[in-house]
Amino acid sequence: MEYLIHIAVLISIYSILGISLDLVLGFTGLLSVTHAAFYGLGAYATAILLTSFGMNFFLAVLLGIIVSGVIALGFGIVLSRFRDDFYALASMGFNTIVFSVFLNWQSVTRGPLGIPGIDRPSLFGFEFSENIFFLILCVVFATAVYFISRFITNSSFGRVLLAIRENEEAISVFGYNTVFYKLLIFVISAMMASVAGALYATYVTYIDPSSFSLSESIFILAMIIVGGLSNHRGAILGAVFVILLPEVLRFVGFPTDIAAQMRQLTYGVLLIAFMLYRPKGLVGKYEL
Amino acid sequence: METDSIIPQLIANSVIAGSLYALLALGFNLIYGTTKFFNLAHGAVAVLGGYIMLLCLKSFGLPVWLASSIAILGAGLAGYLFERFVYEPLRARKASSMVLLIASLGIFTVIQAVIAMIFTSQFQTLSTAETGLYKVYGAVITEVQLMVMISVVVISVLLALTLKYTIFGKAIRAINDDEEVSEIVGINTKVIIRRVVFIGSAIAGVAGILIGFDVGLEPTMGLSLLMKGVIASIVGGIGNVYGGVVGGFILGFVENFGIWKISGEWKDAIAFALLIVFLVVRPQGLFKK
Repeated sequence: MEYLIHIAVLISIYSILGISLDLVLGFTGLLSVTHAAFYGLGAYATAILLTSFGMNFFLAVLLGIIVSGVIALGFGIVLSRFRDDFYALASMGFNTIVFSVFLNWQSVTRGPLGIPGIDRPSLFGFEFSENIFFLILCVVFATAVYFISRFITNSSFGRVLLAIRENEEAISVFGYNTVFYKLLIFVISAMMASVAGALYATYVTYIDPSSFSLSESIFILAMIIVGGLSNHRGAILGAVFVILLPEVLRFVGFPTDIAAQMRQLTYGVLLIAFMLYRPKGLVGKYEL
Repeated sequence: METDSIIPQLIANSVIAGSLYALLALGFNLIYGTTKFFNLAHGAVAVLGGYIMLLCLKSFGLPVWLASSIAILGAGLAGYLFERFVYEPLRARKASSMVLLIASLGIFTVIQAVIAMIFTSQFQTLSTAETGLYKVYGAVITEVQLMVMISVVVISVLLALTLKYTIFGKAIRAINDDEEVSEIVGINTKVIIRRVVFIGSAIAGVAGILIGFDVGLEPTMGLSLLMKGVIASIVGGIGNVYGGVVGGFILGFVENFGIWKISGEWKDAIAFALLIVFLVVRPQGLFKK
């Protein structure tokens, strides 16, 4: 039972990451490969506020969201000058820079040692220390992210995003300031990712920079591509798929070290295969 | 007596790093010029070359010249196979450059995982005994590092001559300008592109071998190598073969002088800061194609 709860917690956290990245990639057509940076910013902000200042979890999440949002705004302003593959490349640059800060700003992040002993969240004296309660918390957050995203994509704002994806020049001719729209969705997406980071940090109670490297961004990207772009359910399906897959591989009985590599290998093969034979992903509505 | 200033060593380190980046950029640019997409597997191909060398040299005990030939051809062959079975079908379908980019990301992940499975994730080095040291104007250079500098000169010159004087080189330049028109005038673009990817990947293999001797190999180093090559290419002018070489040296100098006063771990961040500055200020690079 504990095992199933563990899987479900991971799926909820990755669903948040997937849905939020999909807002930028699937709905707006911006190939952002820096999602793990905001995921990490949320995780580190929460971890530092909890361990060093003893702040309440929910307040820390809020501050983490603000930190991510402000940094995303800065990155977004630079990124708004690019499109397609140059956008991808520049965003990779930002991920690497944020990762370097996690790794090297030792006085704040403790560098490669990471931050241990992060408390589980508590609210009005109730502590989410039991995994089942933590799962409920995660599901609440994931559901909130799902409905906020659905609200965004069904609104007129969301339709402008789709238009930007299809033809940015055309929509700007109609007087829409496309840079503003792209910037706003990028910031919103980063804020959601930071919530996922806060949940992750308090769930595993220990974080180090390696969880937020460029490879993690690629992993999240692969996840929503497999699930299908421009579809919130696709992002969730992708999360379920990539979290369950390594568990299946474990049951097949590979040794741990090989199993980790088998997992990477499978993601790689999946990415290639999906690009070759089904670029839309499982239930996607948009083809890159 | 020589001064014990740090400057000569910094310059030497910059030139050595710059040469490696120039090698990576050469292959990357060559491939980008004809295929027009960011081949993110390029760094992993370089690492693959290094590991094939490791296998031939340490496990099979082959002499260096034979082992390195096998490694270079192996890297080239790997690139060729990816082109033949992944990129080519995608291009035939007129897939966007983003699709190709993501497919190459998949290939990168696969190579990295396979290397880690066969050779473990441990750090390994190709160098055997102690190598000769040279002192040049107060800077210490190893034999391997000298080889690095010689290789980049030899390969650049060979490549430049090929591009300029052979029919093959002229076909490559024609495809760089316009693939469709080249095809119309009777150039077999598919075959040329396959060969270009083979050569570009083989050059990456050379870089991988030299890195294996100089600093050692790790399965996960592909991404960082790739990014160095990409940054060098963009600084020099993407798709411009010579620009990439210049860009490689600029990157080498900026990185090594950047960490003069701060800790060496910031190297990657400095490199990416350079990339972003160039993308914002001069996206076409120093030498426009």
